[in-house]
Amino acid sequence: MDLKELAIQHKNTLSKIGLVITIIIVFALMLQQPVNSDYIDSWIPAIGKTILISIVAIVMGFGIGIIIGLGRISRNFIINGVATVYVEILRGVPLLIQIFFMYFALSIYVPSINDAAIAATLALGLNSGAYQAEIIRGGIQSISGGQMEAARSSGMSYIQAMRHVILPQGFRLIIPPMTNEYVTVIKDSSLAYAIGAMEVTWFSTKVITFHFEPLTTFLFVALIYFTLTTFTSNIMRVVERKFHIPGYMGAE
Amino acid sequence: MVTPLIEMKNIHKSFGENHVLKGVSMKVMPGEVVAIIGPSGSGKSTLLRCINRLNEPDAGDILFDGYTIIGKDIDIDLVRSQMTMVFQSFNLFMHLTARKNISLPLREVKKLSKEEADRLALEALDKVGLREKADAYPGELSGGQQQRVAIARAFAMHPKVLLFDEPTSALDPELIGEVLEVMKKLAYMGMTMVVVTHEMGFARDVADRVVFLDQGMVAEEGDPDRIFSNPSNERTRQFLKRVLQAEQVPPPPQ
Repeated sequence: MDLKELAIQHKNTLSKIGLVITIIIVFALMLQQPVNSDYIDSWIPAIGKTILISIVAIVMGFGIGIIIGLGRISRNFIINGVATVYVEILRGVPLLIQIFFMYFALSIYVPSINDAAIAATLALGLNSGAYQAEIIRGGIQSISGGQMEAARSSGMSYIQAMRHVILPQGFRLIIPPMTNEYVTVIKDSSLAYAIGAMEVTWFSTKVITFHFEPLTTFLFVALIYFTLTTFTSNIMRVVERKFHIPGYMGAE
Repeated sequence: MVTPLIEMKNIHKSFGENHVLKGVSMKVMPGEVVAIIGPSGSGKSTLLRCINRLNEPDAGDILFDGYTIIGKDIDIDLVRSQMTMVFQSFNLFMHLTARKNISLPLREVKKLSKEEADRLALEALDKVGLREKADAYPGELSGGQQQRVAIARAFAMHPKVLLFDEPTSALDPELIGEVLEVMKKLAYMGMTMVVVTHEMGFARDVADRVVFLDQGMVAEEGDPDRIFSNPSNERTRQFLKRVLQAEQVPPPPQ
């Protein structure tokens, strides 16, 4: 085993230990939380809501990201224009304003987003779609033009070349920046607190008004988010390693 | 009379202000090996890439097997599958093994079954002496091996002509030989080839005809022995003198 392999293994072990320690601390804190036990139980739905908002927003953002990202590299003037405007607006306006807009303004016309969690999820997903679109565009554009030429010169169509040559390679390149984005979405889901979606941050403020334990409560909330984000980045690292191409770019 | 496999008529191509090809005409007969030589910037690669319309010519006509391939109603993908290309920078699909690099276009373009494509891929790898590297990824191969896989990928399609765009220019000197060997083998097998090259030894020994391109025009073309020993064009003479000195290619046998 050479030094590099050893270092990698070491790193993996470290991150696993870190994860385990985090989880232990979280549960310890959970049990340490003062007062009655039904209150400990009630953290669970809040955590569940945070997870649900994040996952749905991430998946939705990925779908939007693929469509808008491909639109951004389209040579069609209109498609490209629409995609660019989408990205610029969603990226250029504070997320909190987008959440407010969705919940307070759009819900007047679309009653189904009257629910705070739904409004927050939609806003987060649409917003993340803009960022994921840029990541996907970057991934595709960083694949050398020679790959497309080689595919086309063998008689493959543009669509075939995209599907079998460009996207599979681009997909591998975007894993690290996507990890960033997913972690950001999880953290940004806390903004849903502002419109009263009953997720972790919102719940923590309620807990504080009841029990006035800001130090432990916020520490606890911080650890919940930290656990979720570490878990996500660890999963992404596994994905990255699984799709690693021998002798070529990316993680070992 | 035999129809030329490729006939280029008065091809013009500009990139912005840069008028690269200024009315180039040339023919490639079936079974012929044509070497395109000339100084850097003379438009050699552009000319080659115009043949399969990777670069779209601004004016002029290209006949393939007697039929024009210019125009909106032409299925260029079908045409390209019969005139596959080998690139200077190999351009192997980096996420696929050597075998899959070859079988992907066979399956996608020729619609062969997985088994058939795999069989042909291994056969092609055999011909370039890399069967044992079938499951290696491009990143695990040397430059010379990558280019040999790229050549296998190109001829596994059973094209009517193979286009080579400076296939050895990106290789370390000690790896050039193995690639030229494979190309020679293909030439002797009767494959029609158009080769843009700086390898004067290859042009002289293997090509049936040499086209000397200078400043976007065909300055001279003909039998390699004559061009290398007694070029009629002054620019050709100067160019050959310069590169042959640099390469120290021994004079042709008398």
